[in-house]
Amino acid sequence: MSELLVIIQIAGRRCALSAHDVKSVIEIGVVTPVPRTPDFIAGITALRSQTLTVIDCRRAIGLDAAQAPTDERAVVIAQGGHSYALLVDAIEDITTANGEPGQVPGGFGPDWSRIATGMIETASGPALLIDLPALIAGPDTVRGEIEAAA
Amino acid sequence: MDDLLAEFIAETREMLEASGGEIVAWEANPDDRARLDTIFRFVHTVKGNCGFFDFPRLAALSHAAEDALADCRAGRRDPDHALVSAVLAIIDRIAAMVDAIEAGEEYPEGGDEALIAALDVTRETLLEDELEEGKQGSNPPRNAQNGPSFRQDDDQTRARRADGNAAGQRTIRLPVELLDRVMSGVSDMVLARNDLAHRLRQAGNQPTIDGPFERLTAILSDVRDAITRMRMQRIETLFGVLPRLVRDLSAELGKQVMVDLDGGDVELDREMIETIRDPLTHLIRNAIDHGIEAPSARHAAGKREIGLLAIAARQSGNTIAILISDDGRGLDEEKIAAKALATGLITPAERAGMSRDKLLNLIFEPGFSTADAVSAVSGRGVGLDVVRQNLEKVGGSIKVTSAPGEGTQFALQIPLTLSIIAGLTVEVAGQRFAIPQGYVEEIVQASAAALDFTRMGEAALVTFRGNRIPCLMLADVLGLEACDLSARDLTLVLLRLASGDLFALVVERINSHGDLVVKPLAPAVMKPGLYAGSTLLDDGQPVLLLDVTNIAAMHDLVSDGRARMLQPAEEEAAVAAAPRAMLFTDFAGRRCAVRLELVQRIETASAGAVDRSAPRARMVIDGAILPLAGLPDGPVTGEKLRLLRLGDGASELLHAVREIEDAVELTEALVPVPEDPLVEAMTLVEGRPVALLDAHELFARYGEPPLSSPGARPRCVLPDSEWARSILAPLVTSAGYEVVSEAGDDPDVVTILSQDVFEVAEALGRMPAGPVIRLSDHPQNSGQDGAIYRYDRERLLAALAAARHPRVAGGKRT
Repeated sequence: MSELLVIIQIAGRRCALSAHDVKSVIEIGVVTPVPRTPDFIAGITALRSQTLTVIDCRRAIGLDAAQAPTDERAVVIAQGGHSYALLVDAIEDITTANGEPGQVPGGFGPDWSRIATGMIETASGPALLIDLPALIAGPDTVRGEIEAAA
Repeated sequence: MDDLLAEFIAETREMLEASGGEIVAWEANPDDRARLDTIFRFVHTVKGNCGFFDFPRLAALSHAAEDALADCRAGRRDPDHALVSAVLAIIDRIAAMVDAIEAGEEYPEGGDEALIAALDVTRETLLEDELEEGKQGSNPPRNAQNGPSFRQDDDQTRARRADGNAAGQRTIRLPVELLDRVMSGVSDMVLARNDLAHRLRQAGNQPTIDGPFERLTAILSDVRDAITRMRMQRIETLFGVLPRLVRDLSAELGKQVMVDLDGGDVELDREMIETIRDPLTHLIRNAIDHGIEAPSARHAAGKREIGLLAIAARQSGNTIAILISDDGRGLDEEKIAAKALATGLITPAERAGMSRDKLLNLIFEPGFSTADAVSAVSGRGVGLDVVRQNLEKVGGSIKVTSAPGEGTQFALQIPLTLSIIAGLTVEVAGQRFAIPQGYVEEIVQASAAALDFTRMGEAALVTFRGNRIPCLMLADVLGLEACDLSARDLTLVLLRLASGDLFALVVERINSHGDLVVKPLAPAVMKPGLYAGSTLLDDGQPVLLLDVTNIAAMHDLVSDGRARMLQPAEEEAAVAAAPRAMLFTDFAGRRCAVRLELVQRIETASAGAVDRSAPRARMVIDGAILPLAGLPDGPVTGEKLRLLRLGDGASELLHAVREIEDAVELTEALVPVPEDPLVEAMTLVEGRPVALLDAHELFARYGEPPLSSPGARPRCVLPDSEWARSILAPLVTSAGYEVVSEAGDDPDVVTILSQDVFEVAEALGRMPAGPVIRLSDHPQNSGQDGAIYRYDRERLLAALAAARHPRVAGGKRT
């Protein structure tokens, strides 16, 4: 069974989300910041009567903040009974997976390895399959520092 | 009960509908085992359900059908067409009866026997002739044997069903998710409407649009109301499972418990019911496991062997109170105290000053569990602290009261609804936040100077209505850029926590208040502990709801041990007025009390430390030799001796007691007891008589008297009354005075007068030369015009001490 994937770009890398996890793609409106939360949480925003937690994916991976502008659209996912909007560089395409996710020799680097299930071949080329719970958990070390600073 | 019945009817209907197809299929092929099983289950369920209700005819019918079908299943009988017809006739009859029950009518008598007879249950093997007979009637299946009468029934049934539907309220059962979807849909609609309203306002008046828009608004608010009601559920749904739970638990623990449920018609938010399900179950487990004694113990205690567990729900305003009371052994105060001391929750000094009520409520503190052995039923590592936490999470509270040997009562307070709360929107640093209205005591807007705003180190205080109140800057709490506070008026929101603590939150602006629909937040957002949820404002913007309790706790604004939770400020004021006393049982088994002010602390000493060589017993405590009163005449039983250490400011003495009960307020009348000099008065505590010890007599008798010659003692004239001679005199004597009968013109003699005598003397201008102390008969007059209530020991003593040094006191006529 070839799985449907949503291809996105985070920090210029091609990443893939299982289309099953993606609820919708929205135009991101006003984001209300949430004080005293880790910086990867951009804030909350409303989708109809729902509240979405907006995650800045670059920061959630532990990368430097935006060098490139993010897409005006965000990917809405549901995880653990809560809905999140993922801020990404770009939302590219929907495609099908060819085969199972695998590892590459040498790994993806510690930041990426933490949030990736593995590399997956798709109809439009290879992409990094994102592990959503790990992504949403945010970079622990960075968060610890922020809390210590606060 | 009506709800249960409705449930029964709905369930039976549902099964009838579901098995309709099965019945038809079985009719076509009586040998089909799967169909047979389905129908067997149906009649079996009906029979089982009938057991809960008094429906003998339904029970008889379903029982007969079940028997017949059981025979078929066991292979003792072949399901021929006659049997099928008979079973179907019974099923039809059940449907007709259910309709009659719903309509509240009596189903016409008779006909049941014929139906049951048609089953021929007694025959396990079919005889030839009956087989013939069965076959004859079997071809048109529903017209077997008593065909015509069945027909008639069917017609009646149909007519009845139509009637019933028109008359009764129709209900349908819906999946919860669907309900949720409808609700969020309506919420979305309200938001869309608000957005539209906003745009319409911007566009100016447009009569052609405004009219329909108004109508839309009205309809929407109607729908919203209806939806809100849909969320409500009778608490009965929660109560329904309890009898079974109680039965199983009591059987498991070898106890006999009767459960009494009351107030099942109280309606509660569906989600709230889910939230309290676990706490309620936990409390019931506790009550059965720890509260209610084994039947033999109950019998020995003179109680009914069957314990009673009463659960009652009441609605008052927008909260629901749920009481869970048992008539078991009650909470063991000493055990709780020992445990609390052992775990460091309280210090011995705190223990001494703690009322029973306060002490009992320590069981909700984290890490507290009274059960010595963890039992399979209630010892699950989840304590009452979790119960309280869960209730507090939804804005509820819990407290416990208990009388030893008589039972325990848990009182839960929970808000009516979880997800719609009244809230206040405040603004700080350009961002809006919501505060649950329930916490808001008052909103104050005044200049910093008027509020006496002071910075004490990192903390801040304001003075409001004469009280210093800790003050938090919301901007600081949230780490936002605060604007200059001194520049303009402060806007304060005074928040009262469930624990009774008050604090002020400085915000920049109050925006609005209204009903807020609270939505949960993602864990990462909840993690800082500042937010309880989010809500959408009318303009569609999400706002964070502040977690007031947690913010206060993070800044150490919640008082220790939460003991104050049970004692709101008003009560504390009352405490100062009513005399407080330490209640104990002496060695004669008498319930006694001694004024709490005299109790220095509670000591425990080994009985061997008592020195009885002198005529008066003495004991060495903390390196001091203290006189000891209250010992029994015979030897002291037990190794340990509980002692009250009493002090009058100068000297100390010990009073041995058998058991210390509690610190109580003496709210009932004090009746003087002249015949016993050691007893100041009798009073009632919780309806039982208590002797209030005359501590001054105690000190006069047992205390080491001050070494002074009688001549040097100041003199005092008392009113001429029995009370003064027997009660006041010892007190005055123990205060170091010599009681004399005439004052004469000696300015050094203190005169004690009753208030009315004083007034007469003052009117006649015949005031005594020396200082005067006026006594009032009523506590409420105490303090007025310097009169002292005659049992107000401290003020009397203070007045006597002041009068003793007339030069120092300046001859003050108090």
